[in-house]
Amino acid sequence: MTDTPISPAMLAGAATPVPKEETPFTRFRKGFFEDKVAVAGLILFSIIVALALLAPLITPQNPYDLRSVDLMDSRLKPGSVAGEGFTTWLGTDGVGRDLYSGILYGLRISLMVGFLSGLIAASIGMAVGLIAAYAGGRVETILMRIVDLQLSLPAVLIALILVAALGKGVDKIIFALVVVQWAYYARTVRGNALVERRKEYVEAAQSLGLSNARVVFRHIMPNCLAPVIVIVTVQTAHAIALEATLSFLGVGLPQTEPSLGVLIANGFQYMLSGSYWISFFPGLALLLTIVSINLMGDRIRDVLNPRLEK
Amino acid sequence: MTSIRLLALAATAALTMGSAISALQAQELRIGLSAEPSSIDPHYHNLSPNNMLSRQVFETLVGQNEKQALEPSLAESWKTLDDNTWEFKLRRGVKFFDGSDFTADDVLATFKRLPAVPRSPSSFAPFIAGQTIEKVDSHTIRIKTTAPAPLVPTSLSTFGIVSKACAETLSTEDFNALKCQGGTGPFKYSEFRPGDRVVMERNNAYWGKKPDWEKVSFRFLTAAPTRVAAILAGDVDVIEGVPPSDMARLKSNANLSVVEELSNRVIYFHLDHFRETSPFITAKDGSPIKNPLRDLRVRQALSMALNRQAIVDRIMEGQAVPAEQVLPSSFFGTSQTLKPTPFDLAGARKLLADAGFPNGFKMKMHGPNGRYTNDTKILEAAAQMYTRLGIDIEIETIPPANFFTRASQGANGDPEFSFILVGWGAGTGETSGSLQALVGTFDRTRGWGAANRGRYSNKAMDEVLTEALRTVDNTKRAALLARASELSMNDLGIIPSHYQTNVWASRKGIKVTARADEYTLATGITR
Repeated sequence: MTDTPISPAMLAGAATPVPKEETPFTRFRKGFFEDKVAVAGLILFSIIVALALLAPLITPQNPYDLRSVDLMDSRLKPGSVAGEGFTTWLGTDGVGRDLYSGILYGLRISLMVGFLSGLIAASIGMAVGLIAAYAGGRVETILMRIVDLQLSLPAVLIALILVAALGKGVDKIIFALVVVQWAYYARTVRGNALVERRKEYVEAAQSLGLSNARVVFRHIMPNCLAPVIVIVTVQTAHAIALEATLSFLGVGLPQTEPSLGVLIANGFQYMLSGSYWISFFPGLALLLTIVSINLMGDRIRDVLNPRLEK
Repeated sequence: MTSIRLLALAATAALTMGSAISALQAQELRIGLSAEPSSIDPHYHNLSPNNMLSRQVFETLVGQNEKQALEPSLAESWKTLDDNTWEFKLRRGVKFFDGSDFTADDVLATFKRLPAVPRSPSSFAPFIAGQTIEKVDSHTIRIKTTAPAPLVPTSLSTFGIVSKACAETLSTEDFNALKCQGGTGPFKYSEFRPGDRVVMERNNAYWGKKPDWEKVSFRFLTAAPTRVAAILAGDVDVIEGVPPSDMARLKSNANLSVVEELSNRVIYFHLDHFRETSPFITAKDGSPIKNPLRDLRVRQALSMALNRQAIVDRIMEGQAVPAEQVLPSSFFGTSQTLKPTPFDLAGARKLLADAGFPNGFKMKMHGPNGRYTNDTKILEAAAQMYTRLGIDIEIETIPPANFFTRASQGANGDPEFSFILVGWGAGTGETSGSLQALVGTFDRTRGWGAANRGRYSNKAMDEVLTEALRTVDNTKRAALLARASELSMNDLGIIPSHYQTNVWASRKGIKVTARADEYTLATGITR
């Protein structure tokens, strides 16, 4: 504690006890954990992630290995015993895939697609937004008009066209999701960067003779991170839903490597015929995943938003 | 509890009111169709939904009954004068909607119009190619062909006759605007709203048995769940294309009845017969190998490893029959000796090993999503079965329009895929058309192999089929077609999986005549 910076509390008077070091992160953590709903979201989300990561260890069937999926087990009710001897707690789908196994493996794909596309889109969007804001002039106009164009088209439509043209596969889905998402980041980051670049610390850095790249990425960028983190949470949930939508429409992931959207689509035709579980359980898993991310996202937004500070 | 009771009471009341209303409307029949016509001009587009609707308004010379056997319609009788000449006696006393008489001149005008419809996506002209028509008297026509053509009556069952007045002056747009009063059928069009419905009214001057309905509306409910929901809610009286998954539910409903009929549609796998190395087949380590599908033993192994009964029971939920050739054996020109290949995994493994693939290979299968009943699931089930055989399978399903284009013509003009799931319905109700299109050697100028997406070629089969197409005698032709079926099926030019059954559901008291050609005709629906 030798290096304690001078805090407002210390200046206010010696009577108040010296508070522990408060970094932006600890402040954020404190703010986040104040909200019980957000904590519930975090716990739920952690459980979902853990289940997805542990899937190969805790599922009775590898749903991607066609050898282990038997048509003779199709549409078993939840709780029935499959031909291989294990109990299918959530039932099986129309081709005999155990839904519990299918959902956990599907979650892996959905989460991976959501996060990877979010991270890549965030990186691209941030770079574009920062360059536009810092360079200004014609560069900014061109980049921002591209963003406008992108944002004026419905995301589902663009993704649908891209995936239909590229074919199926996890990599193609991620590519399509990056294409439809990056513009949100670019727009937000540019707005923030425009404010930041007029601040004194940027002027100071510039007068020290630092290179433009260093000023942009080492000084301005860290100060634009808060809104990006908020958008990442919102957009990840959005990306997971969008992937499910594409797969539901039959253009997303291959039938033999089911994501949650594929599983829901598989059960759709049985909805009226009583085999409700084929769509219901994957739908529930998708719902819980998205809700848990959104609960965390809401709180993160509140904590990071300077205008809402108490 | 009370609220639940109230709700139940309200529901019962609503149901009773619903049936009361439908009793009032009893003269009107409401049908939910699974596909929409592209036009109501009978000669614009050779497409099932178009043909189905126009058949009830613009009658054909030769009719097809519910089993697709030919029967007299506007032509009362026909015979051959010699191998190259057919004579048709036309029905007397038939009047068009506008009151004018139906005569040979109208048939001649229709023949003239068929090849001359502007912008027709798929015209009826091929049906009368090589035919010259002449008028003998007002109610007799003769058709001369350049070579013996046994299928002349069949080809005349494909298109409707319109009056000379309509044929000579009206465009497709005029037909769509209901300007043509030149039909002879039991119904006439009274409304055409694309995307919504077609409405017909009874032709009270019809020459034949008058239908039970004054008015019939055909609504386009292309999504299967929507159709099912519509009949459950009482919005329509009849629906076609009942999905297998909803069969049990509809059958158990006391207010509905369900009828089914074996269809003329076979679901089958087409495989790459023509490439030395096939684009979607490699060794398991990804290195290129010689196309294994050209080896009969591999094709036999793939046929034996396909558990057709499991597909029928588990995926089609009993709404299909295991297939052994291009049409069910009750149809004309089928082989009576072919039987569906029994499931035999051990035998299949042995054949595969004999062919030099004891460890299998890697193959990607393709199929449409949403063209045939449960197509994606069938492909997935086949993938399971072939994986058990020892082949590493990947599957890809593609939206139908894109799939069929690529399956017929890839980037370099050849069929793109190695192993595909497809289906084929025989519009003519006999085997010659299917054999010619699916397993006849591909030849654009002769019009053979139009749907031969595996480019299968079998000289012996081609010769027998050519002979059959020249044979006017029905018994001899049936025998030749059966022979051609056996030659191509024993060689596994295609691997047949199953025949679909067509299923209709109707409200109790309304009887639907199930048809092999998938048509829903208001004339076949009675009370």
